[in-house]
Amino acid sequence: MIKRIKIGTGSCGVAAGADEVFDFFSENIKDIELVEVGCIGHCYAEPIIEVETDKGSIFYEKVEPKKEFLEKILNLENSSRLQVGGNRTKKEFLKVTELAGKIDPVSYDEYKSNSGYNGLAKALLMKPEEVVEQVKISGLRGRGGGGFPTGLKWSFLAAQKDEEKVLICNADEGDPGAFMDRSMMESVPHQVMEGMLIAAHATGASSIFIYVRAEYPLAIKNLKIAIEDIIKYKINHINGRKIFIKIKEGAGAFVCGEETAMINSLEGKRGTPRFRPPFPTDKGYKGHPTLINNVETFANIPIILREGGTKYAKLGTKNSKGTKLFALAGDLKYSGLVEVPMGITIGEIVYEIGGAVKGEVKAVQIGGPSGGCIPAEHFDTPVDYDSLTSLGAIMGSGGLIVIGNNRCMVETARYFLDFTARESCGKCTFCRIGTTRMLETLERITAGDGCEEDITFLQDLGDKIKKGSLCGLGQTAPNPVISTIRYYKDEYLRHVNEKQCNALECNALVDVFIDKENCIECGLCIKNCPIDAISDDFIVDNSKCTRCNSCIEVCPKNTISRIPGGGISE
Amino acid sequence: MSKIKITIDGKNYTAEKGKTILSVAKEMGIEIPTLCYNEKISNSNSCFVCVVKDIKTGKFLPSCSATASDGMVIEASSPEVVDMRKTALNLLLSEHTGDCEAPCTIACPAQASVEEYVRAGKNGNHLEGLKIIKERIPLPISIGRVCPRFCEQDCRRNITDKDEPVAINDFKRLAADLHYEEYMEERPNLNGKKVAIVGGGPAGLSVAYFLRLQGVSSDIFEMMEKPGGMLRYGIPEYRLPKFLLDKEIAHFEKMGGIKIHCNKKLGEDIQLDDLKSKYDAVAITVGSWKPSSMRAEGEEHSVGGIHWLEKIASNNWQGENPGKTIVIGGGNTAMDCVRTAVRLGSKEVYCYYRRTEKEMPAEQIEIDEAREEGVIFKFLSAPVKVRIENGQKIITCNEMKLGEPDASGRRRPVPIPNSEYDIEADTIIAAIGQKTITPDGLKLNKWGDVDINTDNGQMDENVFSAGDCVSGPATVVEAVAGARIAALGILAFFKNEKYKKAYEINVSRGHWQSLKKDDLVFLNEPIVRSRQKLSYIPLEERKTTFKETTRTFTEEEIAKEGERCFECSCTAKSECKLKDYSEEYAAHPEAIQGAKRIFNYDTRHPEIILDRNKCIKCGACVKICKEVINKTLLGFVNRGFETNLATEFDAPLPDSCTECGACIPECPVGALDWRKKA
Amino acid sequence: MPEKMLLKEMEKDQSNLIRALQSVQENEGFVSDERLKDISNYFSIPPVEVEGVISFYAQFKRTKPGKYIISVCDGTACHIKGANLISNWISDELGIKDGETDSEDLFTLETVACLGCCSLAPVIAINGKVYGNLERKSLLKILRKFKKEA
Repeated sequence: MIKRIKIGTGSCGVAAGADEVFDFFSENIKDIELVEVGCIGHCYAEPIIEVETDKGSIFYEKVEPKKEFLEKILNLENSSRLQVGGNRTKKEFLKVTELAGKIDPVSYDEYKSNSGYNGLAKALLMKPEEVVEQVKISGLRGRGGGGFPTGLKWSFLAAQKDEEKVLICNADEGDPGAFMDRSMMESVPHQVMEGMLIAAHATGASSIFIYVRAEYPLAIKNLKIAIEDIIKYKINHINGRKIFIKIKEGAGAFVCGEETAMINSLEGKRGTPRFRPPFPTDKGYKGHPTLINNVETFANIPIILREGGTKYAKLGTKNSKGTKLFALAGDLKYSGLVEVPMGITIGEIVYEIGGAVKGEVKAVQIGGPSGGCIPAEHFDTPVDYDSLTSLGAIMGSGGLIVIGNNRCMVETARYFLDFTARESCGKCTFCRIGTTRMLETLERITAGDGCEEDITFLQDLGDKIKKGSLCGLGQTAPNPVISTIRYYKDEYLRHVNEKQCNALECNALVDVFIDKENCIECGLCIKNCPIDAISDDFIVDNSKCTRCNSCIEVCPKNTISRIPGGGISE
Repeated sequence: MSKIKITIDGKNYTAEKGKTILSVAKEMGIEIPTLCYNEKISNSNSCFVCVVKDIKTGKFLPSCSATASDGMVIEASSPEVVDMRKTALNLLLSEHTGDCEAPCTIACPAQASVEEYVRAGKNGNHLEGLKIIKERIPLPISIGRVCPRFCEQDCRRNITDKDEPVAINDFKRLAADLHYEEYMEERPNLNGKKVAIVGGGPAGLSVAYFLRLQGVSSDIFEMMEKPGGMLRYGIPEYRLPKFLLDKEIAHFEKMGGIKIHCNKKLGEDIQLDDLKSKYDAVAITVGSWKPSSMRAEGEEHSVGGIHWLEKIASNNWQGENPGKTIVIGGGNTAMDCVRTAVRLGSKEVYCYYRRTEKEMPAEQIEIDEAREEGVIFKFLSAPVKVRIENGQKIITCNEMKLGEPDASGRRRPVPIPNSEYDIEADTIIAAIGQKTITPDGLKLNKWGDVDINTDNGQMDENVFSAGDCVSGPATVVEAVAGARIAALGILAFFKNEKYKKAYEINVSRGHWQSLKKDDLVFLNEPIVRSRQKLSYIPLEERKTTFKETTRTFTEEEIAKEGERCFECSCTAKSECKLKDYSEEYAAHPEAIQGAKRIFNYDTRHPEIILDRNKCIKCGACVKICKEVINKTLLGFVNRGFETNLATEFDAPLPDSCTECGACIPECPVGALDWRKKA
Repeated sequence: MPEKMLLKEMEKDQSNLIRALQSVQENEGFVSDERLKDISNYFSIPPVEVEGVISFYAQFKRTKPGKYIISVCDGTACHIKGANLISNWISDELGIKDGETDSEDLFTLETVACLGCCSLAPVIAINGKVYGNLERKSLLKILRKFKKEA
């Protein structure tokens, strides 16, 4: 018997058409409860519908707003059921995301009936320092990138005597390719809030700010509803203190993910970082002691309190405890949000969960523009803070992009540097000018105008930018370049010496060629070429061609391809 | 106050708690450079020029902001720290635009402060102008007349008025004509050191001059009857009247400590070894006096250009009519010969040159004036042989055509087969260059010139050298420039040091050929005016007498001409911290290259210029205005590489800024500056 | 969507400056000189500082955008799946480049950092609505639909 039907309307789901599906279903189903839920992490299969029955749940994937799907689902047919790829179910460990996509995100009751706010209740029975101690015992480290021990950070704030102490939730998830925090806020906003309220108790904080990217409207909406309920049920009344809670929307600056920059931004200023010391826990928002933790960090707290720090610390490796969320994307089969225990190898994530094909993967980029690439040879590396750092990458916030063999690493490095150069706040000389100079050099190399000295220059300047920048952005911006030179120097050398891009990605080093043997002369390519670079006898004028791929996309016979520049002449 | 112990650069020190590393280092006498740090305002800690290394953490810290803590070990001048600072400066230079120095000054071989003496001339301060000129050019009367004007070739006025640069050299000529005799340099007492100078031409005289300014006396030995070298014996009277030269040279002896001994030839009247032992140092400035060979058969029937001029010069610019004259060559000496031949009464004067007019090394004005005076040019003609038939000189020439460019970039002339032809002549002058006659005992390079260390003019031990005998035939201003280096080399030698010019950088907006008017920043909108016209004595007088061909500009003409100067150099050139530190740390404007943001400069305020292209984003002006003056008229906009200094809605700075101006002295690079110079 | 808020309801504290600017932009599509002055007066923050804040954050626009704002996601996943081709195709179709608005004030094209829909890469958003798994054909279909509607 069907109890209710849940439709995942997280941002990914909506982008895949979940809204239309929801509208269609609500028009056509009258007697079964229809709920919008968050994300279960299987983005590749969106829109996803979960049918709750008395015998458990059945998931349907790639649902369309059509009658046939409606019937399929109501009859609990076998076709279109969600096929979880690879070994995902075995390898994943759902702890933080256990409720994500399973419950109505904005229902206080549903969260409560799933052990929600039990952690807070337990914490309130403890002295603040005991709570801090539990977090210390759990071994939890900051999930935003730095990996600073959370309990230790809390103890700094707890030690402050200031009347007014501030807690900030860093939800300014700016890494391109990361969406863990978005998904958590959309799917389990109460869990994030519970973590913050526990922190407020433990540290004596009187105000909570949640700094969310403005690009996450659904996350903001769900958080707001959750906060309304928190206020309604007076959950924010802690030990006789009423905790002030406010959502602050970011305005589009990656650097504001940096603690001191975020504080400036919250104060209504330009988001440039401040020199430390003083550290925020001494002097932060408007001069008050301030603690900043990331969404995922806070989402871990209720679990630590519920099960106790000791139990929590059983999962993971020596120095990295618990689980980690990764936003898995790129050249793989099953993209989405995954939660894995610390210590799992990269290979397990990429191949067994992501369903990528061995031999077709060149590397992963982990940690976004602040991280580095890890080549496939090192995929047996366990995921923990220290192992990743030793490979020149970082844990980062959890973006994990799989890079296939057909990608150019120089272009990948250029892409990341383009991002950080544009996001540099412009304060420190090395980052402000240096990242731009590195970007120009990479552009020269991908345009076929580079020389070997350029590679040495990139390494040298990159090293200095890391040393000569105040904040994490500058200190990590050169990582993608330095790590790709470390592992893929041969690709750089081929670009500068032979003016060739093996991956055929760098437009300046590529020609477009029509294989006339197999061409059926349908003329689609000529019609679709935006700049008339293809002649009536189907020859591409490569001096005109912008390598826009329009012809390649439209060719019905796949006879048009990118070839090494200057390789085949007429 | 509690104390902390800190180690900086290996030195232990006990300091009060709570101070920055920068201030502790200062107490210890360790210099750390700073750009964005300013005591009057809150710290920006952004430029990273003050960076030091914390050995225990391995981190690099901005010393202006990092607090010194107990047990800290700091490196403030290790190679790694210096390299970081150098790179920070290189990065700042890579986006910094301006003109540290005006292009004219850079172009001047003697590096005379051109913009400054032009401004003095414009303002009618010709004595002041002369002072500035003589800091680098001891022979302004001569050079003011004969200089080929390297400065004018690079003058940015060429952008708005093609081929009409500011008439820079004429400022020198007027200043010298007006005040040369009355101006006497401040000179220290003689210090007992004495130098022998062999050769009393421009180089020798200049070595003596620069030495005298530092209290060193000298004896100049001149082989000819009178001093002046090529100025007297090579440059004709109509370009440089010798009574003016006499006046110019007389000044040297007036300075006290310089003695000129004529008719003393090295190897005959004086010996190098004697000079070396009798004097503290010797300067060889013997010039380049041997005419080059035409490499044509029967050359002995022709006369070398320089010899011919010397003969006429020795005879007070009088001589027989040379009759039909053929001068071979296309340089300035060839022009001097043809125009001298005209003045001696020849009605038929020819100049034969193996390439075309475009390739002639002579100055265009010389060619034009020669043509006006009736000289006939034959291009693409090269001599093959000279012979005498029945007492008549006959020269055989080949017709040439231009082939591929040679090493000098000029197209190489190649003979056209069977194109020989004969011409009769009364006088044949070969003016195709000179070579150095090197006295014995000198070290020579592969061209036969004196071989020196170009840093300090030193040949060997206490022997130095400068001028044409080092460079081969060149210009007077180049001889003067070389002479100054040799003088500085000698002065350093006296202190057991080796002179080397201090490292200097120059950020440039670019050569005028690559610029448009809009690329420049003008202190004042430039006046629309063409170059003042040079006035000549009547042509007939030019052709028949050796009177000076042109007359000196009047003071009004010079004042008008001065207004044409764009005053290209940076208003802050003497007080730019970026330049000073870049030079100290051997940073270079081209070390790191990349796009520069081109911002609009702002000259809308009557007294203040805001040139964002120079701004290094230190934020000093923004903070002075906000924190000290309580105003906030300036702020940063955009971010990253695009960060820029802005005013409210891009309005001009208010007039009230004139009274305040508090931000201006705090700008380390002159991005904000008073709109006036000197 | 964030709730709309009137300036006068806000506490006159600089920490509300960004919120105030966001409100203005939500209502008017951009921050005009007039509004900038209003906000500057309201919070007593000099205009040049307000401008400094506006220009620091990518979200704010100082000129009026078109009716449809097309945001091309250039997040990592989209980038490796050809975000630059998507941009080019839009440019070719609409005749506007990154940051430009067409002459009829219909479309504004902008490149944005990750929209967080990486598994649907490449994606674009038109006035906030996300379109994923794009290829040339589906993209042109969407663009033409909007053109027709206008």
